[in-house]
Amino acid sequence: MRPQLPSTPKGAREDVIVFTVGGFRFAIAANAVSEIRGLEDLRRFSIGTSYLRTAQVDFTVERNGTVYFVVDAARHFRLPPSKPTRVLILRQTTAAIQVDSTDRMMEISVLHALPQAFSGDERNWYRGLAVMNGDVVPVVNHNAFLSKAEMAVLKSAVQRVKGAAAV
Amino acid sequence: MSAGGEKSFVFFPLGSKRFAFHAEDVTELAKPDRLQVFPHRTGLLAGVLVRRGRIVPVLDVAQILVGPDAPARKFYLIVNRRYSGRQEWTAIPVTGECELANAEPMLPSGKMPSYVTGLLALNNEVVEVVSLEKLLSEGGTA
Repeated sequence: MRPQLPSTPKGAREDVIVFTVGGFRFAIAANAVSEIRGLEDLRRFSIGTSYLRTAQVDFTVERNGTVYFVVDAARHFRLPPSKPTRVLILRQTTAAIQVDSTDRMMEISVLHALPQAFSGDERNWYRGLAVMNGDVVPVVNHNAFLSKAEMAVLKSAVQRVKGAAAV
Repeated sequence: MSAGGEKSFVFFPLGSKRFAFHAEDVTELAKPDRLQVFPHRTGLLAGVLVRRGRIVPVLDVAQILVGPDAPARKFYLIVNRRYSGRQEWTAIPVTGECELANAEPMLPSGKMPSYVTGLLALNNEVVEVVSLEKLLSEGGTA
């Protein structure tokens, strides 16, 4: 019955943006987000049913000449359909996330590693866990919303659509 | 047949039945705490607790040990799990007070689930000694 201390959490101070999806709160590194905007200007997007994983992308949005693929965060986290009102445009990728609402920016001082007991998709979804005023909030892995392979398929679909429109 | 002399066990109740963990795997019995949940895809994982500044996953093994009709869990048994050189606390919800006692385990019969690593005969009761790792691998969460 002798207590043994698990490994201590690590990390430096980091600014995060808190957002909600399906009643759950999440956080994302503030420096991973270039813009928070409403749902105006979203364009419906479909590449058919051949690539099921991209079923979580229903829309694109164009910003400064770049097409961003908008991932439905509720579907990404396997949650029931929610009521998105905001889109987070990500940096250094052409992905964006559709979320129910954004809350505020907060500074976290400790990023706890996701406990090893978590062994499912969430190991890819989250960079770790933060405790905010006693509440545990997962800090999302902004690179996990679309993989490079998924992005390549989506970009090639956009090219196909553009090519067909030009003919 | 004996499984090798008297050892220490922590007995924990799940409804009307009691089970046991090896005492060296158990850290403490914790009072009810606020279970916090967020999306995940790991079976049996009910959520997490914040305990002494640490985030402790909660694994609801009652679903395997006594089925879906287990009564409400009142306490958390904090056990140490080992992951390739690391140790991690895991909270196991139990339905009542636990007991630390010495007993001599008997080898389980062939009909027992593989997570039962021994049997303890106590007065009118036979208590199954549970290997959490084997139980979780059967539950698909290892």
